[in-house]
Amino acid sequence: MSLYCRFMLTAILCALALGYAVSRVAIGYPDPRRHYRRLGRGEVALISSAAEAMYPAGGPIPSSGLDADLPDYLERLMTASRLQTRILLHLLFFLVEHGTLLFPTPGRGGMRRFSAQDVEHRVAALDSWADSTLFIRRVVFTSLRAVLTMGYFAHPPVVRRLGLAPLAIEAPICEADLLYPRIGERPESIGKTAADLTPPSEGIPLPQDGPLHPGFTEAGP
Amino acid sequence: MSSVEPGEVRVFAQYDADLTLEADVVVVGSGPTGAVVAKELTDAGKSVVLVEEGPPFVPAEYEFDGGLSMARTMREGGLRTTSGTIMPTMQAVALGGGSLVNSAICNRAPAFVLDRWCSDFELERTTRADLDPHYEAVAKFLGIAVTPENVLGRRNLLFRDGCDALGYDSEPMLRNVRGCRGSGECFTGCRSRAKQSMDISYIPAALRGGARLLTSVRIERVLSEGWRATGVAGRVVKPFTGRPSHQVRIHAKLVVLAAGCTATPVLLQKSGNLANRSGQVGENLQFHPGVAIMGIFPDLVNPRFGATQGYQSRHFLREGFKLETLWAPPAITAVRLPGSGMALKNRLADIPYSAIWDGIATCDRSLGRVRVRRRSMDPILSWKLHSADVPTLAQALWVLAQIFFAAGARTIVPGVHGIAPELHSLEEAEVLRDRPIRATDLVLAGNHVFCTTRMHGDSRLGVVDEMGRCHDFENLYIADTGIFPQCPSVNPMWTGMALAHRSAQQIAQQI
Repeated sequence: MSLYCRFMLTAILCALALGYAVSRVAIGYPDPRRHYRRLGRGEVALISSAAEAMYPAGGPIPSSGLDADLPDYLERLMTASRLQTRILLHLLFFLVEHGTLLFPTPGRGGMRRFSAQDVEHRVAALDSWADSTLFIRRVVFTSLRAVLTMGYFAHPPVVRRLGLAPLAIEAPICEADLLYPRIGERPESIGKTAADLTPPSEGIPLPQDGPLHPGFTEAGP
Repeated sequence: MSSVEPGEVRVFAQYDADLTLEADVVVVGSGPTGAVVAKELTDAGKSVVLVEEGPPFVPAEYEFDGGLSMARTMREGGLRTTSGTIMPTMQAVALGGGSLVNSAICNRAPAFVLDRWCSDFELERTTRADLDPHYEAVAKFLGIAVTPENVLGRRNLLFRDGCDALGYDSEPMLRNVRGCRGSGECFTGCRSRAKQSMDISYIPAALRGGARLLTSVRIERVLSEGWRATGVAGRVVKPFTGRPSHQVRIHAKLVVLAAGCTATPVLLQKSGNLANRSGQVGENLQFHPGVAIMGIFPDLVNPRFGATQGYQSRHFLREGFKLETLWAPPAITAVRLPGSGMALKNRLADIPYSAIWDGIATCDRSLGRVRVRRRSMDPILSWKLHSADVPTLAQALWVLAQIFFAAGARTIVPGVHGIAPELHSLEEAEVLRDRPIRATDLVLAGNHVFCTTRMHGDSRLGVVDEMGRCHDFENLYIADTGIFPQCPSVNPMWTGMALAHRSAQQIAQQI
């Protein structure tokens, strides 16, 4: 084969590989329901599809991962995180979404990207990460499950259903509350004086059936 | 606004120009040890500037959600891990440091540990008898007391019952808490203001004494001339993003570094490898790696209620581990549960019937190193769990399993790779005792960190002397847990504060 032919063949193969990579990473994702600043369309699809597989509807907790709107939670988490953390989270989503190339899900179409697989295949894919003999794959799975679980539990109906919602507590006003403003605000915003101090906690156990924190009641915040 | 008055707190929104201050002492880091030094020195009439990189958090800022809480209060968003043996480890970035988000456990280092420190590290004044007056002083100020039974909650009392049934010693935790209501929210901030974290205890006291507090300032360099420290320099940083702005410089007669065991070595190395003639800065990194088991009981446990960590057993300290109860935000707890899909949801429904107990191990043979990361003050942590220490952790798991079944658990979730995700009897749990376990099979966490600027009587083998003073610099002290020569085998906060209390007394006499 001449040098020219070899060059052309290599170029065609590279172009095909590039085309496949672009189509796999960027094409064919549905439009998300809202605009996300921190998440790409593919990441939204991955998070939703993983949430659906991890937390299906029904069972002892009626809310599903989709009900919990995990992309919204991840958007908030990433907004609250530094760049380094955000990069790690992007990498995590990429690994799970496209890890099927290296570790195909058993069955037909197992190399398709994670979010394009049906629910049964997605559960099987997650289980294969969880039970992998490769430590690093288990770390990836644990990381994904951690962020999804945190988002699932940030959904008030989930913790209410489990009886784990925080109770209402009226924080006593102590000396420190006269010293520190809320983050980002100036001391003038404190608006409290020594006259506002209240007695410290007397150590009375919280009533188990007491009212929930306003952010966790059925009426919402 | 270029001056800061005695007793004043400076927060991020107030910085509008570069800032230069002078003081007798500058203390870097407002965690338990730095706060003690600042308060004791102001009480001694010294002019003190306390510097903290994080912001103050008031109850309205506390997040119930574990992920968001960690993203806001922890360095690297709570995602910091060691390399070598991959293990998560956290460091708070908040006024009050780790005390804002720890569970307030107070243990004195056992006498046999301190005796070993003295004999192995050529220390003369660090026995239990030497430190007891300092432990007492801290306890008196913070109101360290036994956790009352009425706020222990069932998950703590089940641990007691299990230990009693097996004849293992156990006791309710001593904690720096006044008026606990059993909310179980220590890790995300105590809304009852019962936990005496530094931001509501030592730091207000220091401010009353005239200390000046700069929050949202990241110290990046220790200034020095010859063999004397002359102050510190850094930048104002925006909360949560860390974006730097105005420059801050504090000139002082004496510098105390209490930035934390992983941050202080970075600061020294970034300052021209300061105080490192011994070559020990950043070396000898040790943890108390921890493992945990979740147990499911037939009856409702209601784990939401009760002191976060209210009970412990020191029965196995000489064997190398300590056992304790644990609770965390529900999402963090749920992360332990295995499986996906409906199987996982069914397990989540067991959480109200569950308790989590953990073991922390003395792993003196497992060492690591803190190295500098380019263009960052975050450290690179390399650490490897020594194969000889793995059986200690495995034994801790086996003992925890025994306690669970003795307390009446119907199932345990050991969280060990290669072992069934659920074990339903003590006989089934014997696999934890009998099967060889590798480090990578374990889900580890290590939030007690030590030894990176260790004390040693021989200046060639340690960074500081037993009073915390750098061997190379007569006016540079280190007061965080980096100065521990070895891990203390129990929760380190009280010991760190006692050592800091002692250092402060010496500093007060020195300047």
